[in-house]
Amino acid sequence: MPAVGFYARTRGWSFVIAWMHRISGIILIFYVLIHIYTLSFLITPEVFDAKMKMFGFFLFIFLEWLLAAPVIFHALNGGRLILYEIFGTRNEGTLLQWMFSLSVVYVLLQALMMIMGNQTVSPILFWLVVFIFSACVLILVASRIWRIEGDLVWKLQRITGAFLLIMIPAHLMFMHLQPAIGHQANVVIARMQNIFIKFVDLILVISVLLHAGYGLISISKDYFKYRFVQNGLSLLIVLIMVVFGWIGIKIIIISYS
Amino acid sequence: MNKQQSYNLTLKIRRFDPDSKRSWIQDYHVEAGRILRFVDLFRKINDEQDPNLAWSSSCEHGQCGSCSVKVNGKPLLACELLVENAVQYFKTITFQIEPLNVAPVVRDLVVDISTAYERIDQIKPYIIHPAPPPTENNEYPITPHELERYVNATRCINCFCCSSACISSHKTFLGPNAMLATIIRVMDPREQEKDQRLKILYSENGIYRCHSSRACSFVCPKEIDVAHFIAVAKEGRITEQE
Repeated sequence: MPAVGFYARTRGWSFVIAWMHRISGIILIFYVLIHIYTLSFLITPEVFDAKMKMFGFFLFIFLEWLLAAPVIFHALNGGRLILYEIFGTRNEGTLLQWMFSLSVVYVLLQALMMIMGNQTVSPILFWLVVFIFSACVLILVASRIWRIEGDLVWKLQRITGAFLLIMIPAHLMFMHLQPAIGHQANVVIARMQNIFIKFVDLILVISVLLHAGYGLISISKDYFKYRFVQNGLSLLIVLIMVVFGWIGIKIIIISYS
Repeated sequence: MNKQQSYNLTLKIRRFDPDSKRSWIQDYHVEAGRILRFVDLFRKINDEQDPNLAWSSSCEHGQCGSCSVKVNGKPLLACELLVENAVQYFKTITFQIEPLNVAPVVRDLVVDISTAYERIDQIKPYIIHPAPPPTENNEYPITPHELERYVNATRCINCFCCSSACISSHKTFLGPNAMLATIIRVMDPREQEKDQRLKILYSENGIYRCHSSRACSFVCPKEIDVAHFIAVAKEGRITEQE
């Protein structure tokens, strides 16, 4: 905490929040990779259920709840950055107040859902609503950013960010409406048989890995001066994302079609 | 309210000897009046304690940017920082003073400013291809409305405080002040060469290295909202004619 105070005094709170965005992003990348790896066990439901049993321990449930904090913070702060950079919104104070207030509400709501664990919702309806909202945000940002001169990948980073702004917090919330939704192989497999859910999951995996990959490459370029090191690291990051992307796509499309 | 007239300060100054390549922190105890500036403290140390302490300054009126240092981690102009304000802001009478980390240190608090300026030189901080004056008396009038868009950015003195504070490190990013210098020339109606500037601005070492941490705006001694101008460039509005 003294470091936070130090940087807030010498660089400003926006600087501290930028670091928090960076750290939460890295935490989420690790989580996503572990998540995709765990889901790869769905091919053999018995092994998946056994793995999930391990995640049923209190410590893992607590860690899953803690994950809500970086998820919602990264999403809302990303939204704030899009508003700042693309839509010319400069009233940072108000945005930060909204961001932190909504984050607290989301984390508490997530705790409530996890404690109750008895909520029922139609997956198709839930994801249809979430997908429509996310697509609207995507179109809004894309239509604005597309005419700007500049790098296509940088634009895609913002566009995928806009899409994930609602998708990811909704995904985490959905998974904890009931323990079975994310932890029981037969429930997960039954859901993934649906073509619309497959489509949403596919878009989600591709968007997440594209967003995460560019984020990591962008950070690496800040710290490594030499072009060959930058290119080498970028290639490594792209490779990791492609491998995990392939695993994700394989689970969604191939395994249960 | 009675203000304290003088303070017994401790300045922990980062020293560097280029001959032995040795770096160390040296403590100086200085009694200073409340309205002395930090450049005055350095001079006082030179006069009374250590003539070898090297630091740089020129105008000492916040116009040349040559006295930039980090005080307790914050990049600022030593000629603008009064003792009283420093004590109030940092809530201490002990100050850690270091050179900016934007270029190699020459000696003590003096950095190789020519190396730092190489990044500014890359963006050509002058009008490359001036538009012909529309009037006969060889003047190019800029309307107040046109000027209003970027006049704040023209106050930049290239003190490199923003570069030192920036989250994007100092490996590849040309720096917030270099971006500002480019943006000014893109917005300047007298400049005809926009393509070359936009190419640098939207390059790998340009605005894509900026993560909108806004530390540049926070530390700018001239109170320029540097991040705003970079965000305007990201938004693609710098080429718009208003």
